[in-house]
Amino acid sequence: MKYILLMSGTKAGVDSYLAWSQKDRDAHMAVLAGIGKDLAESGEFVVTQGLSDPREAKFVHGEKDGMPVTDGVFPESKEFLLGYWIVEVETTARACAIAGRISAAPGPGGVPTNMPIEVRQFALR
Amino acid sequence: MKYILMMTGTKADFDSYSRWSKEDLQRNVEFMRHFSTGLKDSGVFVASEGLGWPHEAKIVRAGEDGEPVTDGIFPEAKEFLAEYWIIDVESPEQAYSIAAKASGAPGPGGRPGNMPIEVRQVLSSHADLGL
Repeated sequence: MKYILLMSGTKAGVDSYLAWSQKDRDAHMAVLAGIGKDLAESGEFVVTQGLSDPREAKFVHGEKDGMPVTDGVFPESKEFLLGYWIVEVETTARACAIAGRISAAPGPGGVPTNMPIEVRQFALR
Repeated sequence: MKYILMMTGTKADFDSYSRWSKEDLQRNVEFMRHFSTGLKDSGVFVASEGLGWPHEAKIVRAGEDGEPVTDGIFPEAKEFLAEYWIIDVESPEQAYSIAAKASGAPGPGGRPGNMPIEVRQVLSSHADLGL
């Protein structure tokens, strides 16, 4: 079964991440890279992807005169997707265990971020 | 440049979608199938997936003892990802134009849904964040 693990945050959350020290960021990314490597070795890894800065996000609502109608106005509380992992696992519990490891990745000072990770199964087609 | 186009909705939106008539659903699915074929034919298609129902979604946080802490309680206003497309295009404008086509997918009675589609560039490396 394929699951997607979604990491999201507000603009304020992204701003705080951008203000982390280089050392804290390196430690965080090293743990995420280790999780990716473990998933590749266990055969559960499908793909992971990070998204660009939410400040560049646009909403498109239909077309007017053949042109897309875009805006970039979002509520401060909006949760923007920051990145995701797609994993192929046997159970929801296993997907949640992987999400727990991602959530435990260290933040400033090496303290786990405890970021909430949303776990969703793909629609069966 | 790779972009992700995200279609999201609240639980109420999903509930309303699940009550569409069979004819409305078929028209919408047919449009989406045609949309995906168009992306593939024009060479911009990278990936697309639809997600399961929001009531099956879980939120996981790291626990003190290393065990994941799981719950499925979300605010009513939460926007759940319903479907996404990743495309490889020449410009953001081209991504917006493709997003507008997806936004125009027919809803009840065949009227364009005009669902908001969030368009974001995906990172080729962490350096794209300017770090």
